[in-house]
Amino acid sequence: MEAASISHAAVHDGHDHHGPPAANRSSRVEPELLGMLLFIISEIMVFGAFFTAYFFIRIAQGNPWPAPGTSLPVQVAGVNTAILISSSFTIHWAQTSIKNGNRFGLKAGMLTTFLLGCSFLFIQINEYANIGFAPQDAAQQTIFYSLTGLHGAHVFIGLLLLLFVTIRAFRGHYTPEEHRGVEVPGIYWHFVDIMWIIVYTTVYVL
Amino acid sequence: MAAKLRAPGFYRAGIMMLGGVALATGLTWLVRMTTGHATYSHYLSGDAILSVSLLAVPLAFLIGIGGFDYWFYWAAGRPTRPEDHSGHGAYSWKDYFRVNTDHKVIGVQYTVSSFFFLLVGGLIAMLMRAQLAQPGSHFVDANTFNGLFSVHASLLIFLFIIPVFAGLANFVLPLMIGAPDMAFPRLNALSFWLLPVAGALMLGSFFAPGGAFADGWTAYAPLSDNAPIGQTFFSVAVQFAGASSIMTALNFLVTIITMRAPGMSFFRMPLLVWANFATSLLVVIATPFIAASQFFVLLDRALGFNFFNAAHGGDVLMYQHVFWFYSHPAVYIMMLPGFGIISEIIAVKARKPIFGYRMMAFSLLAIVALGFTVWAHHMFTSGMAAWIRIPMAITTAIIAVPTGIKIFSWLATLWRGVLHLDTPMLFALGFLTTFTLGGISGVMLAMVPFDIHVSATYFIVAHIHYVLFGGSLMTIFAGVYYWFPKMTGRMYDERLGKWHFWATFIFVNLTFGPMHILGLQGMPRRVSTYAAKFTDLNLFISLASFGLGLSTLVFFYNIVTSWRGGPRAIPNPWRGMTLEWQVSSPPPIFNFDRVPTVVGGPYEYGVPGAVHGIFAPAPAPAAAGAAASVVRAPSQ
Repeated sequence: MEAASISHAAVHDGHDHHGPPAANRSSRVEPELLGMLLFIISEIMVFGAFFTAYFFIRIAQGNPWPAPGTSLPVQVAGVNTAILISSSFTIHWAQTSIKNGNRFGLKAGMLTTFLLGCSFLFIQINEYANIGFAPQDAAQQTIFYSLTGLHGAHVFIGLLLLLFVTIRAFRGHYTPEEHRGVEVPGIYWHFVDIMWIIVYTTVYVL
Repeated sequence: MAAKLRAPGFYRAGIMMLGGVALATGLTWLVRMTTGHATYSHYLSGDAILSVSLLAVPLAFLIGIGGFDYWFYWAAGRPTRPEDHSGHGAYSWKDYFRVNTDHKVIGVQYTVSSFFFLLVGGLIAMLMRAQLAQPGSHFVDANTFNGLFSVHASLLIFLFIIPVFAGLANFVLPLMIGAPDMAFPRLNALSFWLLPVAGALMLGSFFAPGGAFADGWTAYAPLSDNAPIGQTFFSVAVQFAGASSIMTALNFLVTIITMRAPGMSFFRMPLLVWANFATSLLVVIATPFIAASQFFVLLDRALGFNFFNAAHGGDVLMYQHVFWFYSHPAVYIMMLPGFGIISEIIAVKARKPIFGYRMMAFSLLAIVALGFTVWAHHMFTSGMAAWIRIPMAITTAIIAVPTGIKIFSWLATLWRGVLHLDTPMLFALGFLTTFTLGGISGVMLAMVPFDIHVSATYFIVAHIHYVLFGGSLMTIFAGVYYWFPKMTGRMYDERLGKWHFWATFIFVNLTFGPMHILGLQGMPRRVSTYAAKFTDLNLFISLASFGLGLSTLVFFYNIVTSWRGGPRAIPNPWRGMTLEWQVSSPPPIFNFDRVPTVVGGPYEYGVPGAVHGIFAPAPAPAAAGAAASVVRAPSQ
């Protein structure tokens, strides 16, 4: 790469740049927001593949659901659903607060959302411990654990993001003008919530 | 020494990798001890440690090399170092072995490492042809042969064709749209470093107990559920390669949508940008499916899940559906960027506007949409419901229409053009020939009765190599020669380039052409020996393939010597109009001193007075006189 280094020297002699020219903004959509939306499309497709497995095992194969001799805790999971959905509202509260310059609302909203998410995950793990069957037993159990587990992994990732945002909120980051760092993880959290409604409906209710 | 171990780099990566092994050991020991599962007779199991290590060690490597540093600072709420662009540019060859956020450096890293995997994958092909030169030979044993063709396909698909297109586009695309860099430079850097990881895993599988993964790049379940541990290497490697693809595609989409130069509307974008836009859409939507298919296999293998265990209600056909829902769009992921490269080259080298620019763009989007509707044509003989074959056959035939539109548009662009038959153009014309042949055999395979007749024979091998070697690889060679002056600042040797083209073109047809005949005669693929009646043609193919292998050495020799000491390239050796040719070769460290303004279409060759981009006068009055420069269309 002799050639490249020579040209660099020439560039540095020529003018005194310390960074690139600002890129032209050719869309009203913010890059971070668009990136998150595209990532969510990918995530939806991951779930799509797992739902394909669910479709083949439950419907194409015609396996009884739930597997004979087992039952799914529909009510407990329903309470859990309510917990997760309410966390979507609390994160919205946090976002609205910081837009209006209410730092207490931001901190309280983020902390509540984080704790609600943690309780969801805690109840989910408890459910695994007490449900009375293992993924190794049969294909229905495999797909039950896989779909809820995949969603649980996403809750975990979402919780990490929320934790980072909460830490930063308590350290005094974010202003009414600059709060993208709350918005973008918030979109992910909403995605996790909506996906749970689909998982709950297909796996537990139907 | 302590500072060296703390700073991001290979030393820290080495330490981290050791830590990864320790973590995997501890984790498996802990889990086995606490669960006390009946089947876990030992707390320490080599297979379990290896399986977890396959995930932990690559991640540890990426942390050590510095791929995640910024995000760790962000996550902890510590002050993040703002991007000061000190990571930009490469001042010596060593800079290519560091995490670098410059899209041009990443483009070179991507391209060079992909070509390394081409070399390895090609050598593996040579070994296979040596084994197949005569029936019943014992050059390698049957299991090794299975491993060879599996690694050959996986390497060349996941670590050559897909990333090399991403590499070329990484270098060229921001320049083409007038952007100083990609939208997410750190993500870009991370996406590159996932590749060597995936490659190391795939090649490392040769050293696994039981040998390399040996059930093809398709890794059909339930065979892959019960294969030796080498299979896990494949499943994990695909996760890393797939993550890399998705990151890059997401980056391309955001860059294209939000960072185009003023005046560059979607219909003023060069077709390479359009092609990468379409490809990235495919990657973002489809790639999660192959990741999931390998998750299923991993869960079945490592934790005893029942996705593909028919005895417990699992469904093996589901694997094929999920796998091909990615892997059919993947053939367009491996082809559309090549279409973009060919559009650039043919317009420039024929000195004519591209014929049917809008139809070229729309046909790309049509391929994206139709690409998701044809996957089960890989499964005509799989035992799925018979009626699904009919709609799949029809959509497969239909997808040839947008592809045909592109072929005819290129031909119409050539019509009465002033053809400059240098190396990139020769490869472009060679691509048109061989890819059309491969496309036609593809339409033949869409016909259900014919497909059933030649399923799992060498006809399939011939078809896939006509479209991937005669198609994709020809476009890759064309693109590498075309942008070589821009990427390196040096000119390649034109005479050697032409030798390379003719050798490649002739030997591709001699190697893969006769495979059609073998397939029609019923020679099965993926076997290490064959009936005596196929001997003559196989010997012929083997000899031709060695010629093909040697022709690649001409390419590597040309590239290496030209890069070291070729004549210096002028900024615009091909008199191209697109923006990347309006800056020096290689481009300045931040691409543009000021962002250009686009005032016309990208392919107005031969149109008097046509202009694509101008560099607007500087705002500072002192510099205005010297800096104002108008890029005019090079006249004929």
